[in-house]
Amino acid sequence: MRGNETLVLALPKGRILKQVVPMLARTGVEIEPEFDDENSRQLRFKTNIAGLDVIRVRNFDVATFVAFGAAHLGIAGNDVLMEFAYPEIYAPLDLKVGQCHMSVAGPPHLLATDEPTRWSHVRVATKYPEITKRYFATRGVQAECIKLNGAMELAPLLGLCKRIVDLVQTGSTLKANGLVEIERIAEISSRLIVNRPALKTRPDEIGEWIRRFEAAVDDAA
Amino acid sequence: MARSGPLEAFLAREPQTRYFRLMDDTLHPALLPHGLRDILPPDARIEADTVERLMAILGHHGYDRVKPPLVEFESSLLDGPGAAMTHETFRLMDPISHRMIAVRADMTLQIARIATTRLVKSPRPLRLSYAGQVLRVRGSQLRPERQVGQVGAELIGSAAPEADAEVVALAAEALNAIGVPGLSVDLTLPVLVPVILQALGVEGRAAEQLRAALDRKDAASIAAIGGPSAEMLGGLMAAAGPADRTLAAIKAIALPDGAQAQVAALTEIVRLIRERAPDLMLTIDPVENRGFEYHTGVSFTIFARNIRGELGRGGRYVAGGHQTEDGYAKRAAPEPQPSTGFTLYSDTVLRALKFGPQPPRVLLPHGTDHATGVELRAAGWITVAGLEPVADDVAEAGRLACSHVLIDGKPTEV
Repeated sequence: MRGNETLVLALPKGRILKQVVPMLARTGVEIEPEFDDENSRQLRFKTNIAGLDVIRVRNFDVATFVAFGAAHLGIAGNDVLMEFAYPEIYAPLDLKVGQCHMSVAGPPHLLATDEPTRWSHVRVATKYPEITKRYFATRGVQAECIKLNGAMELAPLLGLCKRIVDLVQTGSTLKANGLVEIERIAEISSRLIVNRPALKTRPDEIGEWIRRFEAAVDDAA
Repeated sequence: MARSGPLEAFLAREPQTRYFRLMDDTLHPALLPHGLRDILPPDARIEADTVERLMAILGHHGYDRVKPPLVEFESSLLDGPGAAMTHETFRLMDPISHRMIAVRADMTLQIARIATTRLVKSPRPLRLSYAGQVLRVRGSQLRPERQVGQVGAELIGSAAPEADAEVVALAAEALNAIGVPGLSVDLTLPVLVPVILQALGVEGRAAEQLRAALDRKDAASIAAIGGPSAEMLGGLMAAAGPADRTLAAIKAIALPDGAQAQVAALTEIVRLIRERAPDLMLTIDPVENRGFEYHTGVSFTIFARNIRGELGRGGRYVAGGHQTEDGYAKRAAPEPQPSTGFTLYSDTVLRALKFGPQPPRVLLPHGTDHATGVELRAAGWITVAGLEPVADDVAEAGRLACSHVLIDGKPTEV
């Protein structure tokens, strides 16, 4: 199957999108008005630039579309990139938006009484089972992950497990649910991502977009 | 009639038993193990034709075909550079020799083995070509197939830059000839980054993390963890792109001596490729390393515009030269031989091809004389013989997917 000649930029739904749209404007891209209508069922949008379309998908799916070359460019957090570790994705630019960190969290009494050197096995609720397994494996601990798609903070509260691995922005959700941050796993921010074959076969076009985004990031700083 | 003996009771139960067995393990007879598939008409014919056309072009350039076996002793297949394929290789116990044998996951190393053993006395440079199937334990995310066809050429025993240029130009010529549009070759220097890291004294875990970041073109991580090498590596990474621009950008970076020599070699090879294939799109990625673990010089990946995945890859390596442990004594290693070559992956190549119309196919109604069929086939027709008389030959031709039917000795379109 042959891919698209029109360049496709995949944008993540949700929290990051609000910060990304102004950045896009600074690169000179304006998306058709339908894009701002949250009730619209349209998924693919034209832009003011001929030969560039935008799609709006879940943040995990941005990485999938770009990895398989269905989208040439995308914007995704490095949490998603770390979780999937797709070999066909390049992440050439830190857009410096959507900043937060990924942490292990749990109830405060755990922090006080626990002795991490004695662990051989932990049970963790998370949206990121791969990162979690790798992180605990580097310290010689086997992590049994319970995959949840949201509301991670409920898991320790209701006794599903003691620990969670999740993104932490301000810490207010953790606090509201009686949890504390135990350890930081990684700093997270949104990246401009590029499909590897697209960069190799269309270096001038894709390179130009990377430079435009670079300039847009510098403008914001 | 006895109706209640144990045999009757069993037979009465049997259909049900079979039914429930099917329900239990739910193994549909058409289900194949993960990553394996049947290739049906017309794809199987197209694949075989494509492979033969590629092989013919390699043959015309003096690359003689060899055919290594599907399985080999694990110790020889996974020795030296073969170790990179350890986790991808299926193994089984050979009931005859009681030794482990391994199914090939890549053919390049088999060709290198042949060149440095059985063909050790053949004159150098030695040009060999091959086509065959390989089996891998796991496909990748993008290539879930576990059985993949490979077509390749190896040029053994020459360190000349002309050899590097020849294999790149040959791969491009072969793919152009079978009709792959929008071809693009990405050149890389897999030993450049190691040389730089060594010169700057970066080693161990730090070096590994940097390589991983370079593989993802993760500029943010390079800046964060690169330390003394951050500026140089960042510059090299940013330089990736069309060949001339990249070479100019690399030359503006103050590289250590060992790295300079490599860039000079690459520059010469680019010039030689341009001589041979002036229209070929060339890009350079000075920091690409993934999948080039056993390469020792200029290497390359072949892409086609808007096609997912790689069409092939290749590059410079050393054939032979490593010691082999055969369980009893260490054998003397054959002379190490500078080599280069490439492998094309038939699945991606087929995805990149545009197919013309099917060749015309004519139904020869029952009773058509033998000579007519011979004539038509000689003229390029596919003939399908009617085995029994039918009422309506035209309808029969349609049913059997023939484009034509023979009426009054002439193929007539259906």
